[in-house]
Amino acid sequence: MSLKFAFRLVQVLSGMTAGLLLFPGPALAFGPLWVTQGSYVHQIAHLLFATAMFFFIYQIHREELRKFRGFRYLAAAGLFFAIWNLDAMVGHFSEWTLTNPVFLGEGMSTRLLMYDANTWLFYITQIDHYALLAPAFYLFYRGLKAFAQEPESRPQ
Amino acid sequence: MITLPILPLWLAKIGGSLLVVWFAWHSFRLCLRLTRRDPENALWLFFTWLSGAFVLFSLSHIISHTLQDTITILGFEYLQPLRRIAGGFDSILYVVIATITLFFYNIQRLYRRMQADHHQLEETSREILALNREMEALVMERTMSEMALGMAHGLRNPLHVIGGFSHRLLRKTDPGDPSRAWVAAIADEARRIEHMVERFENLAQRKTSFFGQEDMNVIVQDTLELLGPELRSKDIVLHTEIHPQPLVGRYNSHLLKVALAHLVRNSIEATPPHGEIMVRTAMETNFVVLVIRDSGRGMPPEVVDKVFVPFYTTKIGGTGLGMVFVRQIVDEHRGVIALESKVGRGTTVTIRLPHRFGESPGVSEDLPQPEGPGAAPH
Repeated sequence: MSLKFAFRLVQVLSGMTAGLLLFPGPALAFGPLWVTQGSYVHQIAHLLFATAMFFFIYQIHREELRKFRGFRYLAAAGLFFAIWNLDAMVGHFSEWTLTNPVFLGEGMSTRLLMYDANTWLFYITQIDHYALLAPAFYLFYRGLKAFAQEPESRPQ
Repeated sequence: MITLPILPLWLAKIGGSLLVVWFAWHSFRLCLRLTRRDPENALWLFFTWLSGAFVLFSLSHIISHTLQDTITILGFEYLQPLRRIAGGFDSILYVVIATITLFFYNIQRLYRRMQADHHQLEETSREILALNREMEALVMERTMSEMALGMAHGLRNPLHVIGGFSHRLLRKTDPGDPSRAWVAAIADEARRIEHMVERFENLAQRKTSFFGQEDMNVIVQDTLELLGPELRSKDIVLHTEIHPQPLVGRYNSHLLKVALAHLVRNSIEATPPHGEIMVRTAMETNFVVLVIRDSGRGMPPEVVDKVFVPFYTTKIGGTGLGMVFVRQIVDEHRGVIALESKVGRGTTVTIRLPHRFGESPGVSEDLPQPEGPGAAPH
């Protein structure tokens, strides 16, 4: 994934996030958690995390560190972390604005009634939450492993 | 209406959370290993902090999500405050991770600077080593030459006396005299030693690989030409007064160029833009004189006194060996170096080199008196 594309993606996702933060829908007022100051702090913390990760990728690109295998993994990890943060923000928004989620059944057989788009958004973001986070950590680990194993994969 | 199972969400959360903790913990261990291997590497320290924050994040994350699911599925509402605390802790960790990551820029700058300094130090060490080897070879050659000349000078006269008298004695001794054979042996051995001394002297005189007949004017002009770009980059006006006659002597041109370049570079560093540097060559009875004068910031007396002390430096990143080598090079040419400096007025370095070793101050005449407190006689 090129850096240009990554920045475009950030722009789009940041725009969406800002829209969600600044122009919440009517359901927002009824959400049990969304109204708290902590939820805003949490969302802003996610945004800061994502920004830092994009900055990290930019620095790797700017310092021409991509020629090292370890940094290539770390740049990919940074991208996954950044996207995960933006995904988490959308997920939190959908979760906190679910006005009346309907759970059917009990225990392991509990099912969620997909009665509107917000419920779908909630379900999808819950799934891809770990689909993005686990690879991000894996790539971070691989980057460091490359540094530890191969002298040529790290800057001397 | 569509319903979807919650179970996949739980499985994804459990599996994902465990994987995240595992990778975070092993990343942290890798960073610790890297840091232990190279404790002063800023990059490894940075990654250790970042991976440490990731370990906390992975643990905090698994706790907050477990609490969330417990509350949602099992309805344990009393856990809600604990969940909020865990969520708050998550927020703090995100900020911590972001802060550490934003330091990457500074760490990278620091790392680059460290690497550059390291390479520069290696380069300087190599140069010093090469210069040292050359100096050692030069000292050895000069010592051998001086020893050979001294031995030849000291042995020849007694040998002439021994040889001459033994021949005269031989002529006056009767052929039948039993002591004639002894006198003949003395005369033969004296001749052998004389030949040996001649060969030794010839050998010593032929060894001119390090010292050759060089013109000081050419050495100075070559060095100044090399330093032209550095002078121009600071808009420094260079005045040269080159003696009209060739100033030929037995010099090692490479080492003298190294010494002169170091002195002129020091002057360039000390002189502000648009300042002036003067380089002059002159002839005295038995010496070639080289003067480098700048209009720089000068040095206080306490610094002048320590200029030739090994490892003393006023420069950041300096080795404190440059002036020591300059003095050693001058010494090996049997010369003297003198340094005068006044704060705000500039510095003058004067070097006097004998034309030949035979005319070196230590051999045939007294040293010229060094000028100024920074004078360094050999």
